Formats: sequence, C-alpha cells, structure tokens
Amino acid sequence: MKIVFRFLLRYARQNVPSYALGLVMLFITNYAVVRIPTLIGDALTALQTTGPAAVAAGQDLALELAIWAVIVVFARTLSRVLFFNPGRLVEFRVGVDLFRHLLSLQRPFYMRRKVGELVSVATNDTSAARLLVGFAGLQVCNVAVALPLHVRQMWATDPVLTIWCMVPVAIGGIYMRHTVRQFYGMVRDSQEYLARLSDRILESYAGIGTTRAHVGEAAVIERFDERNVAYLDLQLRIAKVRSFAMPVLAFTGYVGAGLVLWVGGDRIMQGHMEIGELATFTTLLMSLVALLMSLAWVLAAVSRGVVSLGRIDAVMRTGDELPPADAPLEIAAPPTLELRDLSFTYAGDDKPALSAISATVAPGRTLGIFGRTGAGKTTLINLLARVYTPPPGSVQLNGHDVVAIPLADLRRRMAVVPQDPFLFSTTLRDNIRLRGEYRGHSPDDDRSGAYAKLTQEDDPQLAQVLEEACLREDIRNLPKGLDTVVGERGVMLSGGQRQRAALARALYRRPALLLLDDVLSAVDQGTEARLVAAIRGLTEHAVGGAQAPTTVIVSHRTSVLEHADEILVLEGGRVTERGTHQQLIARGGAYAETHKHQGVEGG
Amino acid sequence: MAEKTGSDSEGVGALLRFWTYLRPHKRWLVLGMLMIPAVAGMATLRPLLLKEAVDVDIPAGDALGLRVTAMLFLGAVVAEFIAQAVQVYALQRSGHLTICDLRRAVFSHVIRLPARFFDRHPLGSLLSRSTSDIEALSETLSFGVFTILTDVVVILATLGAMFYLDAVLTLISLAVAPVLYVIVRFFSSRLRHLQLEVRRAQGAQSGFLAEQLTGVSVVQLYGREAAAVSEYERLGGRYLKATRTANIYDALLYALMDGISALCIALMIYYGAPRLTTAGDGALTLGLLFAFVDYLQRVFVPIREFSGKLAVIQRALAALSRVYGLLDQPAEARTPAGAPDPLAGWRGGVTVRDLRFRYVEGGPEVLRGISFDVAPGEVVAVVGRTGSGKTSLGRVLTRTYDDYEGSVTLDAPAGPVEVRALAPDALRRHILMVQQDVFLFADDVAFNVALGEEGLADDPARLTAALETVEAQDFVSARGGLTMEVGERGRNLSSGEAQLIAFARVAARQPTLLILDEATASVDSMTEHKVQAAIERLLEGRSVLVIAHRLSTVRRADKILVLGEGEVVELGTHDQLMARGGVYAELYQMGFDDDAEPPASAPD
Repeated sequence: MKIVFRFLLRYARQNVPSYALGLVMLFITNYAVVRIPTLIGDALTALQTTGPAAVAAGQDLALELAIWAVIVVFARTLSRVLFFNPGRLVEFRVGVDLFRHLLSLQRPFYMRRKVGELVSVATNDTSAARLLVGFAGLQVCNVAVALPLHVRQMWATDPVLTIWCMVPVAIGGIYMRHTVRQFYGMVRDSQEYLARLSDRILESYAGIGTTRAHVGEAAVIERFDERNVAYLDLQLRIAKVRSFAMPVLAFTGYVGAGLVLWVGGDRIMQGHMEIGELATFTTLLMSLVALLMSLAWVLAAVSRGVVSLGRIDAVMRTGDELPPADAPLEIAAPPTLELRDLSFTYAGDDKPALSAISATVAPGRTLGIFGRTGAGKTTLINLLARVYTPPPGSVQLNGHDVVAIPLADLRRRMAVVPQDPFLFSTTLRDNIRLRGEYRGHSPDDDRSGAYAKLTQEDDPQLAQVLEEACLREDIRNLPKGLDTVVGERGVMLSGGQRQRAALARALYRRPALLLLDDVLSAVDQGTEARLVAAIRGLTEHAVGGAQAPTTVIVSHRTSVLEHADEILVLEGGRVTERGTHQQLIARGGAYAETHKHQGVEGG
Repeated sequence: MAEKTGSDSEGVGALLRFWTYLRPHKRWLVLGMLMIPAVAGMATLRPLLLKEAVDVDIPAGDALGLRVTAMLFLGAVVAEFIAQAVQVYALQRSGHLTICDLRRAVFSHVIRLPARFFDRHPLGSLLSRSTSDIEALSETLSFGVFTILTDVVVILATLGAMFYLDAVLTLISLAVAPVLYVIVRFFSSRLRHLQLEVRRAQGAQSGFLAEQLTGVSVVQLYGREAAAVSEYERLGGRYLKATRTANIYDALLYALMDGISALCIALMIYYGAPRLTTAGDGALTLGLLFAFVDYLQRVFVPIREFSGKLAVIQRALAALSRVYGLLDQPAEARTPAGAPDPLAGWRGGVTVRDLRFRYVEGGPEVLRGISFDVAPGEVVAVVGRTGSGKTSLGRVLTRTYDDYEGSVTLDAPAGPVEVRALAPDALRRHILMVQQDVFLFADDVAFNVALGEEGLADDPARLTAALETVEAQDFVSARGGLTMEVGERGRNLSSGEAQLIAFARVAARQPTLLILDEATASVDSMTEHKVQAAIERLLEGRSVLVIAHRLSTVRRADKILVLGEGEVVELGTHDQLMARGGVYAELYQMGFDDDAEPPASAPD
C-alpha cells in the first residue's frame, strides 16, 4: 500500500483538479441514479388513484424523470472521462519513465532479466497501474458514493424489506468476490499455458527441417497436442467458473426481487408501503447488484494493480550499478589506450575471465587479440567498451581511468562492433547512420515524406563507408537499395551482410577508438581481405586529414590480425604469447600452429 | 488493412466452412441453443408475474395468491439461472473443443508444408496464425455469435410481450429508439475506427520497445538513449491520443444507454397516465406499467454490448480467412498407410542425369545440368565454393524442394525409380540428410534421437546402441541417460555434443543413402576427435554424399565431385584432382573454408 501511495503522489498528483471535478460528477450521477427509481415509484403510486389530479401529478413526475435521465447521461460521461483520461496520462508517463530508466541499466541487469519479461512490465504492468488510477479509482469512488446513497434510499423506502433482500445479495457479493479471485488465478494460468503452447509451436516450426528429414511429423504433432489439450482443459475449467459461478450475484439479485414481491406485497396489503415503492425497490436493488458486481472486479483490479506497481517499482529502483563518474573527458584525437594488469571475474563465477592483462596502444595503432572460443576475447572488448565495468585504474585513456569518465563522454568518439551485430527494423541507411530518420514502426507513419527528403541529400561519407565495408554490391541486390527495411520485420540479411552493415555503422562515425569483436567471422575470405584492408585503410586516412582511430581487433583468424602493431594471444583469460605477427610466427607457438592450419584447412 | 473482411458472402462462406470443425461438437452446440427459448421465456415471464401481483393479488388483498405468484417468480428466477448457466457453458465448451481441433489441424498442416513455403513465410507470422488468430476465433465462438443470437431472441421476446400487452404504449415508449439507433451506430463506427487505431498504436509502441531492449547495447554504445526515449514518447503520444478520444466516445455510449431507459420510462408514464384512468377500451392497468418499467430497464442492456460483439466477430472473420489461407496451402504428399515400400531392397545406387534446379520459378538456376553416379556403398564428397549448389543437391535428392528438371533415379531392385515419383516420406526413410546446424527439441535425449520413429521410440536398447556407435553414450549416461533433458535448442549441450546427437539419429536409422553436410564451425577440442571418429563410422557400409569441409573426409572419399556455379567442374579422386591442378587443387589450398549456403529465398 505504501507503494501505491508513493506512486499516486508522484504520478497522479497533478490530476487532483480533474479528480475533484470527476468526484462532483460522480455525486450528481449517483444522486440521479437513486432519484430515478424513487420518481418511478412515486409516479406509479400517484397513478394508483384516478382523476385528473393524479394524471397531472404522474405527468409532472415523468417530466422530472426525463430531466434526471438527461442529467445522468452528461454527468456519467464526464465522471468517466475525468477519471479515465488522467489514468491514460499516468500510463503514458510511467511508460516513458520506465523506458528511460531501462535504457540506463547496464549489461548485468539484462543478463538477469529477459527482454520479454521487461516488455511485459512496460506494457501489461503499466496498464494495470493505469487501471488502478483510472478504472479502479473511478469505481472505488463510485461505490463509496453510491452504496450509502442506495442503502439510505432503500432504508427510507422500507427498512424491513431492505433487510430481507440484503441477505441474499450480501451472500452473492461475498461469493462473487471469491469467484473473481479464483477466476483471475485461472486467467493468469491460462496466459502461461498459452505461452507454453506458443513456445512449443514456435520450436516445432523452427525445427521443421529436422522433422521433415527424419519423417518425425507424428511425434512432433503429439508433442504439440500435449500442450494443446492442457490448454483446452484449463479453458473448460474457466468456462465452468464463468457459466456457473460468475452469474451467482445477479441471481441473488433476482432472488431479492422475488422477496421484494413476496414480503413487499404483504407489507403493501398491511398498509406499511405504497405500491409504487415495489418498483422503486426492485430498481434500486438491481442497481445495487450492478454496483457490487463492479466492486468485486475492482477489488481484483486493485490487488493486481498493486502487484504490478511492485514489479514496476522493482525495476525503477534497480540502480545502474555504475561507479560515480566525476571526471568528464573530451576525447578529441585518437587516444592512448592502456591496460594495466587488468583482471576481471564475472559476478557469481569463481574463475576469473581475464587475469593480469597489460598492454599499451599508442594513438592510431592497432592491438590484435587472438584466441579460441572462451579465451576471454569478448570479455576484454566488453570491458574496454564499458559494457562491464573494469576494476578502477586498470583501463586508461590518455592516462585517465575510464571508470571515472562519464559513459556519454567515453562513447561519443568510440565505436564498438559486437560479434553478433544487431540491426534495427529500419532502413539500412538508418541502421548505418543511426539518426532515427525512418519511422519504420508502422507503414502509414511517415505521411509527411520527411524521410524521402532526407534520403535525397548527398552523403559522401556514407558512400565512402559503404565502399569500405564492401556493401555496394549487396545494396544493389536489395529491393529498395539503401532504403530497404532490414532487421526482424524486414529483409533478412546474411550473417556476413549483417556484420558488414555493423562495421559500416561503426566506420560512419569516424571514431577515435574502434573496438571490433570478431566482426569478420561470417564473411568469406576474399571479402575478409578487402575489409581488413579497409579497416587498415583508415590508418592511411591520417594523411588525408581524418585521424586513424586507436583500434582493438579480436579474431580467431590470423589473416585478420596480420597487420596489427601488437597481438596478444589469450588462453583461459591469460596472455600466453605476444608480439607482432612475424614474431609470433617465428616463435612457433599456438598462434603459429593455427596460422599454419588456417592456411590449408577451414575453421 | 488486415481487419477488412471482404464481402459478406465471403464471410458467410468462411462460417460455413467453419461448420466442418464445429460439427463433431454439435451436441454441446445444440444443448446451448435449446436453452435459448428457456432463457428468453423466463426473462419475459417475470414482469408478467409482477403485473399479476400488482393488478390482482395485492388489490384483492389475496395473501395466498401473492405467495403463489412470488413462488412462481422465484421459480422463474431459478430456472433462468440454470438455463443460462447451462447455455453459456455448453456454447463455450463447443467453442473451445472446436478451437482445439482447429489449432491441431492448422499445426498438423503447417508441419507438412514444403520447404518453399517456409522460405516465403517468416516464423513469426506462422506463429500468430497458429496462436493469436485462433485465439481471436475462440473469443467469438464462446461469446460472439451465439450470445448475440440469445440477445436477439431475448429482445424479440421482450418486444413481443410488450406489443402483446399494449402495442400503442410500446410504440410510444420506444419512440426514442430510432434516434438511439442512429446515435449508437455513429458512436460504434467511430469507436471501431478508434479501437483499430488504438491497437495499431499499441502494437507499434510495444514492438518498438521490444526491439530497443533487444538491441539495448547498440542503443547504449552509440549513445542513442535520448533519441530512443523521444521516439518512444512520440509513439506513446499517438497511443495516448487515440485512447483518450476513444474514452470519450465510450463513456458517452455507456452513459447514453444508462439514461435512455429512464427516458423511455418517463415517456411511457407521461403518455400512459391519461389512459390509465379512462375506463373501457384502451384502458391500462397499473400492473402493466410495472411490467413495462421492468421490460424497459432490461431491453437496452444487450444493445449496449452489441457493437462490441459485432467488432469481435469481424475480427474473427478476418482471422478465419487468414487461417484458411494457411490451410489451403498444398501440403507434401504422404504414403498411404500400409502401402508397400517402393524402395525395398535398394542398396544406395543413384544415377543423376542433367539435373537442373531453381528455387524460384523464373529465378536463376542453381543446378545447371549435373550428371554423376553413386554406386552402392560409395562415399562421394561434394566440394565447391559458397553458392556452387552443394546443399541444393542434397535438398533435391530428399525432395525437400520439388520441381527439378532432368532425372534422379534410384536403382531399386524392382527397377529404377525416379525421385519425383516417390512420396517424400517414403523417400526420406531411405535417404537421410543431416544439416550442419543441428536442431534439438527441448526434450530428452531419447526423443531427440528417436523423433517418434516407429520401433525406435520405445526401444531404449536400440537408442543406446545408436548413441554408443557415435560415442555419445559416455556423456549422455553421465548426465542422466536417455531421459537427460537437452534444454531449449539443446543449450545443455556443447555444439560438438549436439552434432553427436544428430549423428545418433543417423546411426539409429541406418539410412541407405546418407547426405551429410559437415559443420564448418569449429567445435570444442574435447569433442572434436569424437565428431571426427563418428563421421568415419557413419561413412561405413552405406552410400554417402558428403558436403565436405574437412580434409580427412575428402581424403576418405571414393570420389570427389567439384561443383562450380551449379555445374560439375571436376570429378575424380583426391590424388587425380590434385595432380590436375585445377579448381579442386585451389580450393584445397584455401582449406574449403566458406560460409554455409545462404537461405534458399535470398536473392542472388
């Protein structure tokens, strides 16, 4: 509950005027809702006697009834809008805040949490939070206003009858509360069952090649059907609750109406009640039942909303786990990169991933890292890129500890190409320039043609980068060239094409510090040679004005590293050999051995 | 957009076709339908009993009569509750049973669709056909069509009762109904558009979110955080605007329905009052007004939900047509059960003559007139650069892709059999192709090796023997034996171990012809020699076409087929080809190192 209060204070405070007005409208609505049955009852009572006076009285009451009917339409509309729309605004603001926070969280966090889970927090949970301040807020206030008004009016009409019909309705209400809880439990299960079924379907489709080759269709269908039937069974159980348990409250309401007829009729005959009050009572009772029904749903929405808020809060309170960065640094020219006795152990591991690595890379020079899978190459790149935080003092740029440099400063002139590059679902052009020009998220989004204009402009740097990354040929073969949408929802590029696109993205920035993690693993040897030349070619731009970046390049192929100024050979996180390509070949160690093999054999 | 359902007749056709899936569960459907008159009858009866009490029992002071009427009333309440519960349950049950069948039908069908189909359709869209589209149907079946039918019957019964009681008063009190109809139509059409926009905006926003979080490291490393947040805000703003507008319409519609019945009651009382007092023809009783109050309070309730339900049905029809689109794709042929094996006694001899093949009609030929033979028991290595057609050759031989030109005949004892004349499953029981990227199901080792093969799945001894043949038994038995879970996509295994499991599949099946696509990716050194040894053993005693990446495999081959640009450029033994100093010798120098073949659908 504390969370709810904190949340309301932060996000819903500015909506107080809206809520206040909404509350007034709610009061008017409910006054009308109670007034209407009373007027109906009074009119019917008036018409019990005959004569023009009675007709006139009845008609007057009918006119008043009509006025209240109109009032109820407007007051109810306003009360709903005034409560619901601020809820939407809250959902929006929570969503944006959450997204901003998520983007500030670092790799260790993303290793712990699955993306699907986070998406669900950002969509389902924010929407549950919205229901809490919108729908639930309205209904709680509504019940708080309406319930006393209803009971008061019923009591005023006839106390004995009120007690009589309250009994079944109260039982129905309690049962309903229980049912709704059970129902939500089942709905939660059903979402999980459906997710499990989808997983299985996706797995089966992904493995279709294997299934087909081994004629394993029957077995795969049987595996699918296990979950299909489990899902069905749950749905049938839900159907049972829905059909037999959920309508019980409405049923008790009608039972109450029957009692009104039974007991109320008696009381009219005894002269305790007017006949029109039968109608007043029945109508109020039905309205009360509807209130209780929504109360049961609201209580469930509140408890779900609280759970959701807890999940949102847990993410929002996760810190970025970064050490304080208090030494801003402008990296203008390619820096000197220095590793001082760098060791690193992943949280939860007992063996270090890297031990005591030292090296110095002068501005514009290239450090090569060679090693097998699991030797610690990627860990090293991740530490240099500050994806993980290295121990203080162990990585230095121009003599400044990188840990103390704010991430934004550090990354402004740095470009990193990971091993498995990620492309966004946008155009290839936008994937390289990363300017967010193309709004590729829905086809009818860009009506202004702004993107078309942007693509017209000449970008010599882009042209050059495409040349360097050997992408020209590939682009010619894409349906819309550079403006082809790639990524998840676009044209699928091959592994080599993705790597080269990511390389182009890095080169486009003309970085001062360039980190390449085995980026040529999926390109063929001919292209590899050209790309290596291009990466080295950057060095020669020094003559033409742009300065060559300080480069760290990781590879398991000696041909990629041949021209590095120094090569570190990693094994189990330790440097086992170091030197230039020639020196290492001459040394005849693991590097030389691999070089010999790679000359003739693949892999 | 996808929400359009085309013409109405198409919709009717879609529903008629749906009947074939519904028919097996029609008992429940019929039971549900049978309850409709009971529900409508009881709902109409209650106000009449009220009228009886007000007009007869109470004025007469007849306490006993009142008691009887009240008991009847309670009886009607109980009967209606039971009838309604049974009806809702029966309809939902028939709906869920049908959906379960339909989902099974779609899945079973997709599983048998040819490879070309999968090239053209991303898995994501196939998944949504098999799950969310069918879920949309489920909602309709349970709550849509048949509850609308119930609602219509209840409304008609109520109106019938009202007209029966007093036609003029009914017409007067429902005078505002046409206005209401126009308003509701207008609102709900606006609302439908808005809801469509809401869903689109929501989809765009959550899609963007998921993608940014997946690529969060690029966003961070390239300093795109602020830009990403502002784009998220823009998308969220679009969603916000749509939902807020939708809210206003929704609230108005809801409130209008609330007010309208009170307005109708006011009309009824105003115009009914004078007639109540005039004796004779056209006179009204007080009880009749009571009954009308009751009717008018309930007749509008279902209308409020009408438009929502109609929207659901429209969505379902759109989903249904997408599902049919999938079911209408021709699946691969299957051998009828009990048919004789056309390849019985085949020893693995293959004759390929002038084989030509293209993935896409009108596309470039990837195999351009290939001829070669495989003798029984012979090991043929296929080498060549990326795109030379090595993998395509294997795909044609297993009928993974159809429509080749030329001839590929298998020298069965009963005479040569053309591959295109064989049912794919009959063919694949003799020719097994092992791809270099091993796919493992998130299940145990036994399932992954047997893959449901008859006589294998329930024979642990044969499975263990197969694992032993490929030297996988050691690590399997050390980690729980045949029931060891391999994890999602085999993540509990190293890549070398995964390959051994794939080889165990071969060892367990003993295919007559094995087509093996050797892995290019290096495996861990621990299993490297095991993989090598297993390959050696699989090459024994059968015909093999191996797409070779390892030097040792090429040396071991009886003959080497060198492909270049879809043609056979060289053919001979290792020594012959090396002596020749041609393409093979050059490839050998470079170490055969290349990519896997690009996906078949990739443009050339």
